[in-house]
Amino acid sequence: MKRYLVTTGTLFALVAVAHLLRTIAESNFRIGLGSQAATVTQSLMATFWRVFVGMGIAFVAAILTGALLSLSRLATWSLSPILQLLAPIAPIAWIPTAIVVFGINDVTAIFIVFMGVYFILTLATLNEIRRIPAEFHTVAGNLGATPAQRWLWVTLPAILPGVFVLLRTNFIAAWMAVLVAEMVGLRDGLGAIIMMGRNLFNNELVMFGMVVIGLTGFIVDRLLLLIGQRLLWWRV
Amino acid sequence: MLKKTDPADAFRVERLTVDFGAGDGGPLQDFSLAIRQGEITCLLGPSGCGKTTLLKALGGFVLGRDTGGVLFESRYLNGPTPEVVMIFQENNLFPWLTVKGNVAFGLKFKQGAKTQHAEAVDAMLRTVGLAEAAGRYPHQLSGGMRQRTAIARALVSDPHVLLLDEPFSALDVSLRRRMQTLMLDLWEKTGKTMVMVTHNIEEAVQVGHRVLVLGDRPARVLIDADTRSDVYKNRYSPEFLALQQRIEAVIY
Repeated sequence: MKRYLVTTGTLFALVAVAHLLRTIAESNFRIGLGSQAATVTQSLMATFWRVFVGMGIAFVAAILTGALLSLSRLATWSLSPILQLLAPIAPIAWIPTAIVVFGINDVTAIFIVFMGVYFILTLATLNEIRRIPAEFHTVAGNLGATPAQRWLWVTLPAILPGVFVLLRTNFIAAWMAVLVAEMVGLRDGLGAIIMMGRNLFNNELVMFGMVVIGLTGFIVDRLLLLIGQRLLWWRV
Repeated sequence: MLKKTDPADAFRVERLTVDFGAGDGGPLQDFSLAIRQGEITCLLGPSGCGKTTLLKALGGFVLGRDTGGVLFESRYLNGPTPEVVMIFQENNLFPWLTVKGNVAFGLKFKQGAKTQHAEAVDAMLRTVGLAEAAGRYPHQLSGGMRQRTAIARALVSDPHVLLLDEPFSALDVSLRRRMQTLMLDLWEKTGKTMVMVTHNIEEAVQVGHRVLVLGDRPARVLIDADTRSDVYKNRYSPEFLALQQRIEAVIY
């Protein structure tokens, strides 16, 4: 009986969600005043663009930094504390500085996403490099790989899945950071929808913004999970 | 004393001292030994007697103090070389590559036409009986298949020597015997020099052409037995059992 109720409940919830999504997709209404008005799709794309570019740059930069640091024990020893100091600073704290330096534009948002995940991912890279079994390097060197070739064919594939798992875990942080940036500084994107609702005393618009943020965040998380499982599935 | 330029020797270990910087009696002290070319040499001994250190020294992975060293084909080893390939007990295979990718790994760093390399890989996969499993990943393989892949990868780059560090110790008895047969098979086909560390006396006597039993710190050769004769390939023959007893008496 209980299970029946739960199933029915889920079904109703799914119908409601599907209905909402269809309505949004069909109408694609504009939110905002005058020249600042943007369609839901435009807002969504603006936010997505910022998150993905920021995370992509941070991912590549973190792996390169981690790899460079791991070349020298002295560099790791002296620079790790700085990374550990910077890592816990909430990305949101960078917003005022970023706006002053970069102005109110995409670069600011991308920078904030970058700051939100870069340090954590660099530490993760260092950690993953330490975890590689010694035999892997011995085997590759024994078969004639130069240090550069060992990095490309052994270290990189060995650390990618682990660092990617952390990228996915930190996606939420990046997602929140960019939304806050959009609320307080930038005037477009999903975060701006919430602020628009607030300024117009339109609670429904606020709720609508929250639903869209929740749904898209969930979908991106699943997407990252899928990439992790399909492309970077191995464990070292 | 052995002659310095004996062509029948693959390795000549000369007064090798490995103490990992401790200076207080490391595993190898002033150790000398010759390993003949084209033979399967098995190293036995109690744990910690220095047999794995010796194997690593033969591969150039461990270097001794300047007072001695390892001569490989009449030149001093000062690091790993693709001519001497080591196979470990575990962590041999890269989990992100298929069996075929793993076997072909070493050829990436070698000169030669791609098609030629691909043919060599396919032929080697057939030799070790992995042609059907070529597209599988290491986590989809049994322990025996994993070690066969590692052996195939080592052999495909055509090294002069194969070093094996307890390669079959994680396998169950029946699989282990199949791998021993495969090793003898591969030796007959390729005639490579092989040096294997094991703690299984039966395996050493049956697979090896020469069994070396090492004693404890500092390492020294206690028994140097020639086991080429067919009587040692039958584990119930009186000679086999007698040698086994002799080794057991020394080790335990």
